[in-house]
Amino acid sequence: MKQISRAAVVWQLLAFGVVLLPHLAWLPLWLIGICLMTPGVRLMIHGGRWSLPHWSVKLVLVLAVAGGLILTYSRATGMRGMVALLIGALALKLLEIYHRRDALVMLYVSLFVLATSFLFYQTIAVALYALLATTVIVAALNSIQQDPMRADLLRPLRRALRLLLFALPLMLVLFLLFPRIGPLWSVPLDRQVARSGLADSMSPGDISQLIRSGATAFRVSFDAAAPAPAQRYWRSMIYSEFDGRTWRRARSGDEREESGLLQGQGGAIDYEIIFEPSNRNWLVALDLPAGAPDRMRLAEGHTLLSLRPVDRRLSYRARSYASYRLQPYLPQRARVRYLQLPAFGNARSRAQAARWWQQSGADPQRFVNRVLGEFNAAFSYTLTPARLGADAVDQFLFDTQQGFCGHYAGALSFLLRSVGVPARVVAGYQGGEWNPYEQYLTVRQYDAHAWTEYWVEGAGWLRVDPTAAVAPERVLESASAAYADDPAFLSDSPWSPLRLGRSGWLQGLRQQLDAANFVWHRWVLNYQARQLGVLSGWFGAVSGWKIVLALLLPSALVLGLVAWQQLRGGRRRPRDPVERALQRLLELLAREVDVRRPNESIQAYAGRLGERNPSLAAELAAVARADAAVRYAARDEQRQQLLDAIILCRRRLRRVRRRRGESRSVDE
Amino acid sequence: MSNPLLQSVGDALTALDRVLLGKQLQVKLALTCLLSQGHLLIEDLPGMGKTTLAHGLARVLGLEDQRVQFTSDMLPADIIGVSIFDQTQGEFRFHAGPLFSQLLLADEINRTTPKTQSALLEAMEEGQVTVDGHSYKLPQPFFVIATQNPVTQYGTFPLPESQLDRFLMRIALGYPAPEVERRLLAGGGTRSELQGLPCCLTPGALLEVQQQCAAVHASSSVIDYVQRLVQYTRDSEQFSYGVSPRGALALLRCARTWAWLDGRSHLLPEDVQQVLEPVLGHRMRAAEDVGGYAGTRLVNELLTRVDVLG
Repeated sequence: MKQISRAAVVWQLLAFGVVLLPHLAWLPLWLIGICLMTPGVRLMIHGGRWSLPHWSVKLVLVLAVAGGLILTYSRATGMRGMVALLIGALALKLLEIYHRRDALVMLYVSLFVLATSFLFYQTIAVALYALLATTVIVAALNSIQQDPMRADLLRPLRRALRLLLFALPLMLVLFLLFPRIGPLWSVPLDRQVARSGLADSMSPGDISQLIRSGATAFRVSFDAAAPAPAQRYWRSMIYSEFDGRTWRRARSGDEREESGLLQGQGGAIDYEIIFEPSNRNWLVALDLPAGAPDRMRLAEGHTLLSLRPVDRRLSYRARSYASYRLQPYLPQRARVRYLQLPAFGNARSRAQAARWWQQSGADPQRFVNRVLGEFNAAFSYTLTPARLGADAVDQFLFDTQQGFCGHYAGALSFLLRSVGVPARVVAGYQGGEWNPYEQYLTVRQYDAHAWTEYWVEGAGWLRVDPTAAVAPERVLESASAAYADDPAFLSDSPWSPLRLGRSGWLQGLRQQLDAANFVWHRWVLNYQARQLGVLSGWFGAVSGWKIVLALLLPSALVLGLVAWQQLRGGRRRPRDPVERALQRLLELLAREVDVRRPNESIQAYAGRLGERNPSLAAELAAVARADAAVRYAARDEQRQQLLDAIILCRRRLRRVRRRRGESRSVDE
Repeated sequence: MSNPLLQSVGDALTALDRVLLGKQLQVKLALTCLLSQGHLLIEDLPGMGKTTLAHGLARVLGLEDQRVQFTSDMLPADIIGVSIFDQTQGEFRFHAGPLFSQLLLADEINRTTPKTQSALLEAMEEGQVTVDGHSYKLPQPFFVIATQNPVTQYGTFPLPESQLDRFLMRIALGYPAPEVERRLLAGGGTRSELQGLPCCLTPGALLEVQQQCAAVHASSSVIDYVQRLVQYTRDSEQFSYGVSPRGALALLRCARTWAWLDGRSHLLPEDVQQVLEPVLGHRMRAAEDVGGYAGTRLVNELLTRVDVLG
C-alpha cells in the first residue's frame, strides 16, 4: 500500500471543502461543526503537531455521528439523511487518510456527494461550480498518484485541467446522445418544506398585508404569438366552497363531470411551461386548457393537476383555447355545489344583491355589469386592506370598500350565488413579464391572481375579473407596474432588482440573466424531453435503442481494438517481405512445434527444434544459416536464399503436419 | 584455418588448457579479455589457480610480467616506484616499481587499502603514472590481472563500483570437476608445466590480433540486442542501477573478440550471451542486494527476459 504525499493531503482537504460548500445551507449545525473540526484536526496532523487518532477515538466519533444522524433524520423521508450520512462519513474519513486506498475511497465518494448537490439546486451557477469542484477532485485524484518524494502542489491541478479539457468533447457527446433513462426509484425530496405559491384556500378578510414575493412561478414560451396581456389568465385551481369567510378548494371534486364539456372556438394556442417546484400538485394552464398532458389530469373546472407533487422543475406542453364554451349544461349536482352558501351571515350583502338582481331584470350578465359598475365607482385597490370582522363580505362591500383581487373575486362570487347564479372563484396567475431576449413570459408569485366565473345557461362558464373594473392597470400592465408604489409590494426583499421598474440598464441586465436561466432550463435541464426530437432533426428518425447502439458500438470497437493490440503485445508486422515471411514461419513453428524462448536466436531455436524433429532439421538449418548470413554477416545477396529456405521449410512443415494428422486418424 | 594469427592464438589456448585442466571456458574468457585490451579481475577462493592462469597468460602471449602481492600495509609507492636522490649525479632519479611491466599480476587486490588500490586503478585507466610532478608512460601493451578473494572473507577492502567498472571482465574459476581433479592430483603440481609453456605471440602480432578483433562486423540486429539488454537493466525494478554506456561498449568489444576467436568475422547474439556474465556481472547490482553478489541471477534474468530478435 502506497502512502500519499503531503501535497496530496492538502488536495484531499480542498476536495472535501468544495464538496461540502453547496450543502452548507441545509446541513444540521452539529454536522457542520464536525465537518469544520475534522479538517482542522487533519491540518494539525499535517503540521506534525498531532498524530493520527487512535482507533478508539475514531470509534467514538463514528458512533457519535451515527447517533446524531439517527436523531436528526429518523423521522424524515427523502435524500437529506442519505446525503448527510455520506458527508459525515467523508468528514471522518479525513482523519485516517494515509494510504492511497483511503484517498481513493474518499475522492470517489466526494464525486458522488458533488452530484447530489444537483438534487438541491439546478441553476447555472451550481453547474459551473460543479465543474470547478470536479476539477479540484480530479486534481486530488491526480495528486495521490504522485511519487511522495517528488510531489508538487500545483502539478496535479495542471494535469486535471488538461484531462478535463480532453474530456470536454466526450462530455458534450454523451450529453447529446446518452439515453435518458427514467429514475429506477423515486426518492421524495423536501416534501415537508412548503414553498410559497398559491394556497388551497383564500380568506381575504384575515389578511391585513399581502406580501408579494418576486420568486418565479413558471415560464412560458409560445409556439406562435403570445396572447395579449389582458388575455393572460393562468388558471390553477377552483375555490368552490365558501363558509362565509373562507373560499376553499373542494376536497374531492367531480372532475369527470366536466371532461369533454369544452368546445374550443377559434385557433388553439400551443405553449410550453417550465414550472418551478412547488411541492403541490396543482399546475397552471392558460385559460382554458383543452386537455391534460402526460402524467397530469384535468381537475375541477378544467384545471391541471399533476399526479405527483411537483418537487423538481417540471416542463410540459399544453394547448388552450382563448375563446371557448365550457359546460353549457350544468348537472344538478354541480349546480347545487356552485350555489352553496352558508345559511346565515352577510345579510346586508344578500339584500343588496337581491335588489340589484331585480333591477337588472334577473339577467346574470347585466347583474355582473351592475356590480362591476359599483366596484369601479366607489372601490379602490390595495395590498394593505383592513382586517375584516364577522360578516366579512358585508364589511368589505359597505364599510372598507378596499381590497385586492381576493376580496373582489370572493365578493362577486358571493353576490352571484346569493341570487341563484352558479359562480366560483378561480385562483391562478395573471399577466407575466415578456422577455424580449428569448421570447418568453416569466410569471412570478406576485402575479398570483383570483377572479370569478359564473355560469349562464347555454353559454357555459364565463370569466369575469372584478379587479379589472377596480384597477384596470393591474390587468393591462404588469403587476410590478401596478404595485410599484405599494409599500407591501416585494416588502420581503427590499433589494430585489424587480423594484427597479421598467427602465434602466439594470432592468435589461436582469432580463438577460433571466433569459440565460430560461435557456438553461429549457435546453440543458430539460434536454431529456427533447433529446429524441433534436436527434431525429439531425439524423432522421431515431429510437432510444438505436442511440444506445450508436454509443455502444463505437466504444466497443475502440475498446476491442485497444484490447487486441494489448493482447498482441503491440507487435507489428515488419515491412520487409523476407522478415515478414520469417516472422510468419516463426509463428507457425511456435504453434506447431514449440515456442521460441526470448534468449534463443533463430539459429539456436532452429538447432533445438531440429534435434527434436529430425524430419525438419535440414530445412530449419538452411533457414538458420541463411538468416545468420543476412542478419549478422551483412550478406544481403543471400536474402533470396533465405526466402527460399523459409518457403521450403514451411512446405515441409505442412507436409509433416499432414502426415501426422493422417497417422493420427489411422490410429483412431 | 587460413588466418595464421588465429592459429597461433588457438595454440596458446591449447597450451593454457594443458596447464589449467578443465577450465576451457574461463581460459578462453581470460584470453578474450586481454585481446579486447581490457583488465581482468579473477575472483575466487585461494588456491583455485588464479595465479597460475595469470602467469600462463603472460607466458603464452609473450609478455613481460611482474607480480605484486597486495597486503594491507602496502603504499602506492610500493607499486609505482619512488624518486631517490642520486648523490653522484646530484639529482632525483625515479626507480620504477613493479607497475612498469606489460602484464601486472595484482594478487589479492582487496587485501590492500583503498589508497593503494586507487593508485593502481588510476594507472590502469590512464596508462601512465605521475610521480613528483613528472609523468611516466607505462609500457604498451599494459594489462592488469587482479585476483581477489570474495569480499565476504574477513580483513578485506571491497572494491567500490567505480573501480570494479575499470575491469573489463570479472571471472571466477570454481572447483574443478571430480575427474579433472583426480587427474590433477595424479599429475602433481603445475609449476613445471608453467615453465614449459611456449610463447605463441609476439607483441606486434598481439597488436594485430587486437585490431582484427575490433574489426569484427556487428550487424544492427546485434547492436539492437545489446542496447535492449542494457536498457532492460535500466528499466527493470530488479536492478538498483542500470548498466552504463561504458558497460555496453565493453560488452560489444568482448563479444567481437569472442566471435574472432570462433573464426568468424561477424557477431552473433550467442557471442554476446557468452560474454554477458563476465562483462556485466560485476557492473550490476540487484535492488535489494547490498553485497553485490547477485550478478549471476541478474544475468539469467537478462538472458531469459530480453528477446534476441526484439
